[in-house]
Amino acid sequence: MSSTPTFKTHETYTPEGEFDYVNSRESVRRSPFPFPDDEYMYSMNLEPHVPTGDGALRAEFDIDEHYVSECRHRAQMLEDMPGVHYAALPHMLEAQWDLLEVIFEAYARDYPEHFTLTKNGNEWHWVNRLLQIDDTFTFGDPSTLPMDPMEYATRQAQGEFIVLEEKDNDLVIGAGMATERADYSLRFNLGMHFYEFHGPVPKLHEMGILDRALKFLLRMKPGHPVRRVNWSLTVNPRLETSVETLPDWAPDRATVTEENAGESVYLRIELQPLHRLPRSNAVVFPVRTYLISLAELVEHAPDWAKRMHRALASLDHELVDYKGFHRYHEHAVNWLAKYDDGAPLANGYPWLEGGIQPGE
Amino acid sequence: MLITGIKSRPTYDELTPLSSGHRHVVAAQGSGGAPSLRLLSAMTPEQRALTTLIYSTESFDGDNHLAALTTESVAGLIPQSSNAAALETLREVLSTAKMGTRLYLAGSEGFIGTAMQVASSFGMDSDEVLREQAGSLVRRVWCAHCDTYTDNVTMRVFECPGCHLNLVVRDHYSSRLAAFQGVKADGEVPGELPDIDEELDT
Ligand code: HEM
Repeated sequence: MSSTPTFKTHETYTPEGEFDYVNSRESVRRSPFPFPDDEYMYSMNLEPHVPTGDGALRAEFDIDEHYVSECRHRAQMLEDMPGVHYAALPHMLEAQWDLLEVIFEAYARDYPEHFTLTKNGNEWHWVNRLLQIDDTFTFGDPSTLPMDPMEYATRQAQGEFIVLEEKDNDLVIGAGMATERADYSLRFNLGMHFYEFHGPVPKLHEMGILDRALKFLLRMKPGHPVRRVNWSLTVNPRLETSVETLPDWAPDRATVTEENAGESVYLRIELQPLHRLPRSNAVVFPVRTYLISLAELVEHAPDWAKRMHRALASLDHELVDYKGFHRYHEHAVNWLAKYDDGAPLANGYPWLEGGIQPGE
Repeated sequence: MLITGIKSRPTYDELTPLSSGHRHVVAAQGSGGAPSLRLLSAMTPEQRALTTLIYSTESFDGDNHLAALTTESVAGLIPQSSNAAALETLREVLSTAKMGTRLYLAGSEGFIGTAMQVASSFGMDSDEVLREQAGSLVRRVWCAHCDTYTDNVTMRVFECPGCHLNLVVRDHYSSRLAAFQGVKADGEVPGELPDIDEELDT
């Protein structure tokens, strides 16, 4: 098992805070690197979410050295724009308690040194030593918490969480904590169905992936989570890139040059471990986001940097446009090219037998 | 960011009498008067006697079918001079509605969407409601940046009356908000507007 990271407490993800954010070598090498091949295309990349390796896929919900900073950032975003990043439809209360239980149980089991959950019937005692929280509440009774159970739990969790109810063989978004969402609006998407909220994504429908993914998710059972990874690029280590604040962050895309791409362009990896919730039968779609600059990738994981160069260089133009980096795509590719000697690389995700390793 | 060709837009029906209904409520606006008349003529006299018609004469393209509707023998015709008042009436009518009520909506996409919000708040779902789009293809747009709703948007790029940003109207539609999504059109380089100065004609 890998060593406990040193938690950084005052990193920032905003221009006001001057993007004071760095990854340790370990933090880069433990991330769920999303390029199994030299060419990238969407696929049905769903697999059972079982503990794998000693990196990001060991725990049910991964936390890393950025946990404390990220929770602080979330609190700030919620305060800055009330109602924009957290929303829940009224009938989702049971699912909210479900989610609180799934997160707290997993944290307490996977990180006993940081979290303790003690249950005495419905009287629960929760201790979060990383955020200095020590609370008791009655499970199922919202009046014993200072806010919605989902907001309470996810303010203490890394990554974002979308909760969907199952309705007529479809999944409908009923609640979300999304202070780090990539280019969509939570308020706008609330109440949408699986095909509707995936409407803007190119190719997915035509490739038959949406049909198969939805069928797969509807068969999910409690206690048997599944996971997938997704990725994009973000300029600067900025977590909050919602449609709402696009005027603040989109101009950064025009600042990338071939010279500064290493420091300014970040690979944004999303680890998505989906769970069926036990009582409500709702589904939770968590998105744990890892931001790694191209320069950090070259320094700490040189083989991954070569792979990323090839995957980016050959990326389908529709995906380049959809993911929003047509303006600096070439700069990122040219910057990475300097570090790619063309040596053959292993195929497969790094956490699988024989998959691509970070390199030395 | 994808602007056109997004598959979240609602698909519409053609209004025809739903025989499973014990009571029929028609809410229409402007050009939606024509499909309402067609619906009534397809109904049996018994069905017409169980039909309440709410009609708003507010119309973007000036289409008014009130005179023709007045000659129909229905249980009740409630004319209103604004869409907002018609929706208020719809709320009142549905608040006393029983099981077996069928709802028919006709008019602009914005009117249908906001009337659907009212229907959903009473728990009506899509098999109890038929929707027919009629008249011009104006859209109701939600500004992602300042939360303002703008009715009757006709152009792909328009100025938001709330925050005065130039917004591009995406084909992305939210039934809950009953609106299309408007996003800053020159987000990456201020002043550099996308080359899509087109009318919204789909
Ligand atoms: C039920 C849980 C899920 C939720 C709530 C969800 C939500 C979303 C959202 C909001 C987007 C962004 C759409 C936009 O641009 O507005 C997205 C993109 C996408 N989703 Fe999902 N999704 C879910 C499950 C899945 C599954 C199971 C798959 C595939 C097996 C999938 C594949 C994708 C892909 C490929 C993209 C495009 C990502 C990119 O290119 O960056 N999603 N999803």
